[in-house]
Amino acid sequence: MLEAEASQRLQALEQENQRLRKKLTRSEQKIERWHRSRQQAESLLSTTIQELQTSQANLKLRSQELEQALADVKSMQARLLVAEKMSSLGVLVAGIAHEINNPVSFIYGNIDHMEAYISELMTLISVYKRCYPTPSDAIQMCEEEIDLEFLLEDLPKTMQSMRIGAERIERIVLSLRTFSRMDEADHKTVDIHTGLESTLIILSHRLKETNQRPAIQVTKDYGDLPPVACYAGQINQVFMNVLVNAIDALEEANTPDAEISISTNYLAEQVSVAIADNGPGIPEAIKGKIFDPFFTTKPVGKGTGMGMAISYQIVVDRHNGQFLCDSAVGKGTRFTICLPLNDQNQNNQN
Amino acid sequence: MFKVIVGHSVEIESDAAISEVLDQCKTQLDGQRPQASILLAAIDFDHALVLSRIQSAFPEMAVIGGTTYGEISSAMGFREDSLSLMMFCSDTIQIKAGLGRDLSSENAAATAEEAIASLGLSDLADAKICITIPDGIAEGTESALRHLQKHLPKGLPIVGGRAGDQFEFEQTFQFFQGEVIQNGLPILVFCGDLKVSHGVASGWQPLSRKAVITKCDSPVVYEIDHQPATKFYQHYLGDLPISGEYPLAIFEKEHDCFYLRASNHWDLEAGSILFAGEIPDQASVQITYASCDHIVSATQDSIEQALERYPGKKPAAALLFSCAARRWLLGHRTKEEYELGQQLIETDIPIFGFYTYGEIGPLETGGDTRYHQETLVTVLIGTE
Repeated sequence: MLEAEASQRLQALEQENQRLRKKLTRSEQKIERWHRSRQQAESLLSTTIQELQTSQANLKLRSQELEQALADVKSMQARLLVAEKMSSLGVLVAGIAHEINNPVSFIYGNIDHMEAYISELMTLISVYKRCYPTPSDAIQMCEEEIDLEFLLEDLPKTMQSMRIGAERIERIVLSLRTFSRMDEADHKTVDIHTGLESTLIILSHRLKETNQRPAIQVTKDYGDLPPVACYAGQINQVFMNVLVNAIDALEEANTPDAEISISTNYLAEQVSVAIADNGPGIPEAIKGKIFDPFFTTKPVGKGTGMGMAISYQIVVDRHNGQFLCDSAVGKGTRFTICLPLNDQNQNNQN
Repeated sequence: MFKVIVGHSVEIESDAAISEVLDQCKTQLDGQRPQASILLAAIDFDHALVLSRIQSAFPEMAVIGGTTYGEISSAMGFREDSLSLMMFCSDTIQIKAGLGRDLSSENAAATAEEAIASLGLSDLADAKICITIPDGIAEGTESALRHLQKHLPKGLPIVGGRAGDQFEFEQTFQFFQGEVIQNGLPILVFCGDLKVSHGVASGWQPLSRKAVITKCDSPVVYEIDHQPATKFYQHYLGDLPISGEYPLAIFEKEHDCFYLRASNHWDLEAGSILFAGEIPDQASVQITYASCDHIVSATQDSIEQALERYPGKKPAAALLFSCAARRWLLGHRTKEEYELGQQLIETDIPIFGFYTYGEIGPLETGGDTRYHQETLVTVLIGTE
């Protein structure tokens, strides 16, 4: 009986042993597989994280590129708008200049004849006086009424004044045509001084004395410049932008003894035009931004913030030149426009 | 009347195990005669002995089944090295078993036809569901499923799982009546007024970059993004051999939905990977990853889907076909799959299932059956 029980017990233990051994073998296999799987998971996750990081960096870069592209497009759009405006203004100015030119020619062309006719009529009056020293009462009354003596004295002066006025109109019309250069849209060889002078004539009303301030003095120190091949209308626009900024700065700061000095120079196959004012100067903090599109220190509605950006583009991009700014607070501002005589870029730009 | 019962034993000896299972079943049957049954067994049992014991006890009962990588039942929960039997009794539902032999890629059509023919049913119009446990190593399961689908009424769900062998991937066995076979396609078809529903979820998520299969002779993939297929895996998994826990998500055409294809075999010299399932050429793929939480969460999804879709009031039985890789990854948390089933399904409804080498079930109600990996297919059947 005991033997049978012992045998049964032994059998049960053997079964249990068998079961445990099986379990142990499987557990060992499982641990090995788990270890491998964990290594795989670590590798998979770390590679994926790396890829995500790279992809994130790429996206950031792409986003920056897109932002830059968007800014470029906006800037381009603004430039186009301004260019379009300037182009329309140029057409308008050229049209007005042409329309004024004709009637002014009638006036100016007839002044010589008019002076001759008046001189002849005055000669006739003096002959009449000599031949008829005692005029009739009616003639005498008329002489007194029209103050003949003063009339004869003032008439040549009036004529002279009309001649000066007509000549001035003619000069302004010529300056407007020079400035707009509608007939010279292509690259052309021009005299830089002529461009500067015509710009100064257009701005002469801004340089004059006003109720708030005395006149702004303009001093010129022109060097001996060779003709320069450039887009003359555009270069004149640069002169205009720089001069207007100088006048605005001098006016705003109410600078005493306000002065703008223009000097030109020719050195090392390069023509340079320096336009300096003795105004308040540009603070260091905004110096880096003055060529940025839409950057302006002027009150809302006065400046577009595009003048300097367009000027920079015209000088640097269109003419392969340099557009430099030298300024210090309290010491005024100097803009220097350098144009190479042999612009390799000219044929590629339009 | 439709009664379903389960018996389950962890006895190590085959004779003792089947004795215990049959005793449990007889008690629950209460004199009723079972029409059909499904036997699930660990690979180490003497399967012929087990089957002969079943046939002696219930000579008229149809039997199908297979070996597994772990058995699940409401009698004992999740167990390994165990023997589990589910029996179906009904006077209104007709249940027939069939077997197709010599399953392979080339012979899949003939195997499927043989399985249907062996059912002995002249009219399949009243068929409601087909349960199958094909060989887990032999190729051709997907093709065989397509042929089965052709012979069965349109929209009939074919469900089940491929037989397993304790994660050794050497040989699996299928059961049909008293026979133990390999390369078999045993099927169990239910006809009559039966209500069925199913749910499918995996929990695996695509993780790597997306790539395209550029050279493939299904189920072997030679090139991914014009590089050797093994290189794509090695980039992510390092030099460790490929394994089933990191399947490929397959995106067909422009679809956002994906299904999974796992592999345990690669040829480093040829740069090719042999997958356990058909792979379409030019499909977009990503290596996937799942944490235990993802897997358990998908278990809940699968069961809830089946419960929501069930057309009646109360199912008579729940079947769970879960992937072997799920069990392997879940480790000691494997029991949570069954526990979730217990929580979500009413306690008096018998639960039965196993860890498979490939799950079978349609994605949506009335849809064609699909072959899955890393997935839990939940099936509910009943008459109420």
